[in-house]
Amino acid sequence: MTEQSTDSTLLSIENLHTRFRTREGPVHAVDGVSMTVDEGEIVGLVGESGSGKSVTARSIVGLQDPGEIVRGSIRLDDVAVTDATDRQLRRLRGDTVSMVFQDPTETLNPVFDVGEQIAESIKVHDEPGSQRLLEYLHLPPFGSRSEWRKYRDRAIDLMDQVGIASPADRVDAYPHELSGGQRQRAGVAIALASDPELVIADEPTTALDATTQAQLLERFRQYNAERGTAILLITHDLGVVAEICDRVVVLYAGEVMETGPTERILEDPRHPYTKALLECLPQRVDRESRLPTIEGSVPEPTADRAGCPFAPRCEYATAACRDGEIPSVALPDGRGSVTCVESNGFASDSPPSGTGAPGAGSETTAATESAPGDSDRPSPIVELEGVSKRYSLASGPIERFLGADDTLRAVDRVDLEIRAGETLALVGESGCGKSTLASLITGLETPTSGTVRIDGTPVGGVADRDADTLTDVGVVFQDPRSSLNPRLTVERTIDEPLRSVGWDRPRRKDRVRELLDRVGLSEHQATSYPHELSGGQIQRVAIARAIALDPSLVVLDEPVSALDAAVQARLLNVLADLQADLDLAYLFISHDLTVVEHVADRVAVMYLGDLMEVGPADRVFDRPTHPYTRALLEAIPSLEPDGSMGPSLEDAPPSPTDPPSGCVFRTRCPMAEPKCAATDPEQRRLESGRSKCHFARDH
Amino acid sequence: MSRYDYLASRFATSLAVTVGVSVVSYGLLFLTPGDPAEIILSQQLGRQPSAAEIEAFRAENGLNDPIPVQYLDWLLDVCRGDFGTSYYSDTPVSTLIAEALPVTLELALAAMLVTLAISIPAGVVSAVSRGSPIDYASQLGALLGVSMPNFWLAYLLILVFPLTLGVFPVAGAGSVGHLVLPAITLGTGMAAVVTRLVRSSMLEVLDEAYVDTARSKGLRERIVVYKHALRNALVPVVTVLGLQLGALLNGAVVVEIIFQRPGLGTLLVDAVFERNYPVVQGVTLVTAVVFVATNLVVDLTYRYLDPRVRLGGETA
Repeated sequence: MTEQSTDSTLLSIENLHTRFRTREGPVHAVDGVSMTVDEGEIVGLVGESGSGKSVTARSIVGLQDPGEIVRGSIRLDDVAVTDATDRQLRRLRGDTVSMVFQDPTETLNPVFDVGEQIAESIKVHDEPGSQRLLEYLHLPPFGSRSEWRKYRDRAIDLMDQVGIASPADRVDAYPHELSGGQRQRAGVAIALASDPELVIADEPTTALDATTQAQLLERFRQYNAERGTAILLITHDLGVVAEICDRVVVLYAGEVMETGPTERILEDPRHPYTKALLECLPQRVDRESRLPTIEGSVPEPTADRAGCPFAPRCEYATAACRDGEIPSVALPDGRGSVTCVESNGFASDSPPSGTGAPGAGSETTAATESAPGDSDRPSPIVELEGVSKRYSLASGPIERFLGADDTLRAVDRVDLEIRAGETLALVGESGCGKSTLASLITGLETPTSGTVRIDGTPVGGVADRDADTLTDVGVVFQDPRSSLNPRLTVERTIDEPLRSVGWDRPRRKDRVRELLDRVGLSEHQATSYPHELSGGQIQRVAIARAIALDPSLVVLDEPVSALDAAVQARLLNVLADLQADLDLAYLFISHDLTVVEHVADRVAVMYLGDLMEVGPADRVFDRPTHPYTRALLEAIPSLEPDGSMGPSLEDAPPSPTDPPSGCVFRTRCPMAEPKCAATDPEQRRLESGRSKCHFARDH
Repeated sequence: MSRYDYLASRFATSLAVTVGVSVVSYGLLFLTPGDPAEIILSQQLGRQPSAAEIEAFRAENGLNDPIPVQYLDWLLDVCRGDFGTSYYSDTPVSTLIAEALPVTLELALAAMLVTLAISIPAGVVSAVSRGSPIDYASQLGALLGVSMPNFWLAYLLILVFPLTLGVFPVAGAGSVGHLVLPAITLGTGMAAVVTRLVRSSMLEVLDEAYVDTARSKGLRERIVVYKHALRNALVPVVTVLGLQLGALLNGAVVVEIIFQRPGLGTLLVDAVFERNYPVVQGVTLVTAVVFVATNLVVDLTYRYLDPRVRLGGETA
């Protein structure tokens, strides 16, 4: 097809079709993909969910089950994967190609320690021929412990290489005893154990913090540079692509839309889909304006179709796009290829009709723009005063007697207020106490000490709150799929809070219809069940439920983290509209700072249960005063393909059961001095906001 | 929660359960109609005893004391290993139990072996080749096993093996050969239930992402299935096995009587018919202790199989 195989080609995929049989008929998850990966190359495979990225990757290692490859060929290191026997396939997996999977909580076996899981991978690579079950079960006399000891020692080396701190101690740890970042590193160690020529990484950093993501990407790049290992990186995050990929393949509905060097794709996208994907990114858009979106969704790949799969959503689509085979056109000078009838037509000019409607949302931030001072701000809805939450870890009487009564400081003496109509973003790495703080505000947890006030009245947990206080705060949880009852229809879900305050039937019906309309769902979706909806739609239902009783504050716990860029953009626009129409205040919890920068009026930065810095979003992003904020900002993958990620934070935060003396951040702080260990810094008032650092000052 | 706390709390719970069982079993006997003194004496003497004789027997055996006092007396004796004396044979109850317990335990363990030997391979193969003829055959077998009453299977086995083929003894206890037919009788019924459980548990586990991780290392499918998947799939199975082992002690009654094995079941049934209170109490208590101990072992196994199990529910 478009990319010629050369001597240095490691992986070549030709016209791959992978199909799943479903009750509704065959699903063509991969529909004619052709691409190559050269030795030592880092290639990004991008696209929305449902675009066939993962299935393509799994087809390469023969894990496409229960799908089947119906046409096309995959050659890996001169072995035809598509025709390989089981034995050949196992050899390939043990020697040539490794996979890193998306969710490290699910991809490590919970009942074996990580040392065992890594050691196994080394052994398979070393002795691919002799895989005796009894030996792998460590049943004497077949599997001697001493022989395994040597593999475990090598596992420790590998753990060290992938950046797991004190690997000799962690080698005996079970997956549940590790943090998300450490788990994913262990997953990477398993992949690297066979010293592969190609690593296929399927969304390896999607479930991780920005800081951990930056560290892990850096490891990938180092490994690539040192060993010449090729990497096929599957992601929906174009920021990640810009950081480390040499070349990009853009996938849509199981077909390749465009390929090319990263720089060219980011600066001069030729395919309307690539262009639209790039425009959805919050970091490309001014704070005040609405995010452009791609209307519609990835088509169900059930039926054979003619023409360009993107045509129904494409603003440039013409009659020519809708039938026949669209050829893939090679661009000159190694600039890749593009599968579009207008392959060189519209380079970077603006679209003919503005569906993105930039500038339509400028009213959302107007109110806060004009009010920089504290005095003329609206009254706070929620005030936290010295709020702490501690958990006792010792649950048994003997442990308590032995004095091993550890307490975990989830939230430590936090002062914070949320004012009417504002968006306050709460950011920080996972485990810093963001979600606990949210639970204290919603009343799902009660503080160990300190006061939570809502509309000026001190409140307790949910059980102690009166109806007015309860309806004043709405919640949208992190994972909408598990926070909606799968057995209730959309209508019943939204209806539930209305019923609980005793509305009569016709009134509830009207209200549900109004709410569906507000969040952009159609009326016929009222009778759907959650499993029939997409991730974005489910999150809309959750938002509708949260605003059903006209709250003045909605707590949004990572509301868009699980969503693709395009879906995320649409949801953020919905949230902005609701805020403008209903004068809602948002507590927006997120670890994605590019999203936060786009939505937040004020930002609160949390670390180890304490607020490090609070201030207006513009100021915090432009002139951070706390070193932790600066570190977080540096970890954001930028879209500038210059390959520099800046120094990122090493390691993970210290354990909240044993926080450092003085300033909690000092152990990872580049500016730390002896006085930081001696005294806990005061919250310094700045010209705008406050900062908890000895060195904080107004710039 | 530390290991010691866990052990301590499990032992405390087990002890409480045992004491509870002893109170209930002791108390229940006093709710049944009929005066034991009168019944026992009439059997011993072969005639209706006189009021004076009944009174003397009551005084001698402490039957006139308030029930709580009788219970505490009995409990103290039990703690010293003295379960009292059988009303009929003057043999200490502890001796009767010591003779009967091994017979029942060996049967229960043998039946458990039969269960494991059938259900684990059958369940795994069934799950791995889902929808194949093997799968259907094993599911049909399981259905048959569940629906077959064990007294019927017992007679069927006796008919086929000792009576027609001349192998294995018809009844009795003492050798390995004696054990085979009762163990099969008890084990197959249980195997049927466990096979289905292993199959569904395996099907669930085989869909997990870590199974693909194992495959992507280049491991043979056999190691993927029997090492990575099976260990996870066994976690729910072990719980059921523990409860089933307890049930075996009860289910053994019918089988013990058919095969005329002098086990706890036989001892208990005879004692109930004879209103031989000390024996009934002793057997009930011992059975309860065995049951509680089994479940303690199950809980500890559970912790070994699944390192995530920590009482107290802390998370990483």
